[in-house]
Amino acid sequence: MHIVVLIKQVPDMNAVRIDKGTGRAVLSDQRVISSYDAYAIEEALRLKERHGGEVTIISAGPPSVKDALTRALAMGADRAVLVQLADVHELDTLAVARVLAEQIRQIPYDLVLAGQSSDDYESGQVPPHVAELLNLPMVSSVMGLEIEGERLILRRDVEDGSQTVEAPMPALLMAITGLNEPRYPSLKGIMAAKKKPLDLVEASPVEPSRLSWTEPEAPERTTSGVIVQDLPAAEAAQQLVGWLREQKLVS
Amino acid sequence: MAGIVVVGEVGAGGLRPVSWEALAAGRAVAEALGEPLVGLIMGSGVDEEARTFGAGLDRLLVADQPELDMLTAETATAVLAAAIRDVEPSVVLMPGTTLGRDYAPRLAARLGVPCAADCIDFAVEDGALVAVRPVLGGRVQSVVRFTGEGPWLATVRPGSFEQAQTASDASPAPEAVAVELSADDLRVSVRETVEKQAGPTNLTAAKVVVSGGRGLKEPDNFRLVEDLARVLDGAVGATRAVVDAGWRPHHEQIGQTGVTVSPRLYVAVGVSGAVQHNVGMHGSDYVVAINRDPDAPIFKIAAFGIVGDAFEVVPAIIEALEAGRG
Repeated sequence: MHIVVLIKQVPDMNAVRIDKGTGRAVLSDQRVISSYDAYAIEEALRLKERHGGEVTIISAGPPSVKDALTRALAMGADRAVLVQLADVHELDTLAVARVLAEQIRQIPYDLVLAGQSSDDYESGQVPPHVAELLNLPMVSSVMGLEIEGERLILRRDVEDGSQTVEAPMPALLMAITGLNEPRYPSLKGIMAAKKKPLDLVEASPVEPSRLSWTEPEAPERTTSGVIVQDLPAAEAAQQLVGWLREQKLVS
Repeated sequence: MAGIVVVGEVGAGGLRPVSWEALAAGRAVAEALGEPLVGLIMGSGVDEEARTFGAGLDRLLVADQPELDMLTAETATAVLAAAIRDVEPSVVLMPGTTLGRDYAPRLAARLGVPCAADCIDFAVEDGALVAVRPVLGGRVQSVVRFTGEGPWLATVRPGSFEQAQTASDASPAPEAVAVELSADDLRVSVRETVEKQAGPTNLTAAKVVVSGGRGLKEPDNFRLVEDLARVLDGAVGATRAVVDAGWRPHHEQIGQTGVTVSPRLYVAVGVSGAVQHNVGMHGSDYVVAINRDPDAPIFKIAAFGIVGDAFEVVPAIIEALEAGRG
């Protein structure tokens, strides 16, 4: 079974700061594999272990993305492709998807796996775009994956409950929390990763983006609530309990 | 090109509330562009929902056929593509649900048009649609501008808009959308949907919910949340971050990929208030937030906020509550 996994390298979202002066977000230099994408990598490796085959990781971005790809190789993927783009956020999601779809077209595959959305821009649009561009059926929010014969049996979380969905292969699946527990690269895996192929390719076709966006800023505070600050804990607690009683929220 | 198409979504309990939010957003865009407002409902046996949704609109499109009973990204994309071919709208607003966020980008790629995900506000500037969407965990927002040929597509984040009021006007005559589903459109099939069970804490029905987030630093510190919940006779909830970290079970997770709660009182301890959390509790009557970071977005939705150390403040609250009861 040949599996392609799409991943994105993102700044560590636990370390985002808001600059008080400008209201702008200050991102960490620490770059990681976007969290849902790690589930996609893990699931691909488990499928390979069970059914054999090859796992190819594809990402687009600047040279720093090699770190994310190397980590995926250390986890056990067989090869990686970096589509070179100085800044993926200069393109809209459809332009990025076209670039990725073009790379996927060049290799044989039975499955394309991706994370549900990226930790940073969270649009979750690139995988559905790719599915359409490759004319693949897609299933998102995948929490469980079984293969019955030639069919995929997928469990997913939706608004109304837990859904079981059936799809043929090839297909594109979007992974979410609960699918698995991503492994850490072993020392052996880290050593082996150095010898695995990591190809750098030119991005093509880069088509013009139809969306442009501003640098993210903190919205203006619109609260009309009471905010208690710089008070000793006991005093703040007294004020809260007084308020709770006034609102008849506690007896 | 003319018209703003707003897609409503029919769930297990009828029209989802986000349908009315999308409609409110769509109405404002239609007025700004001076174009008609067109509703669209798809499914099987959705006649009644369509009429309800269509009240007061300029046009109402309905795709009602058995194959659309359990919609998938593929069937919904086929319906939307057909409707867009007929109506040639300039803007299409779709619900930011699991389904909407599947088919909207799929549709965008089919038509080669731009799509903005999960928008919380819209405006029209110089004839172009502009959308606001939360990014980087929801603490900041980006303004997205559409350019070039339409239709321009966007999904509407649930819980971001006031729900449009049902107009008393009669519904326009429903226009059937003729959809020819191909074999490719039917590749994914839904076997079954098992409705959600409330967790052991009965979180969804609780009058009081006390939830904890990353600010608690360690799993053991969650006893602060449990203690406060006990004193307030409430249920315990958790953010995605602490569930992902394995501190708490998944059924306690509040937010986009967890449960939605709407208690009378919601107390957030060490919860920053990322959008994916807030969508799961924005229906709460009173929100109390305790957090060290004065800029935490949770304070924007809090009726009462304490900027301070949860490890000091929470025990003090428990003490004050118990003292009051003698």
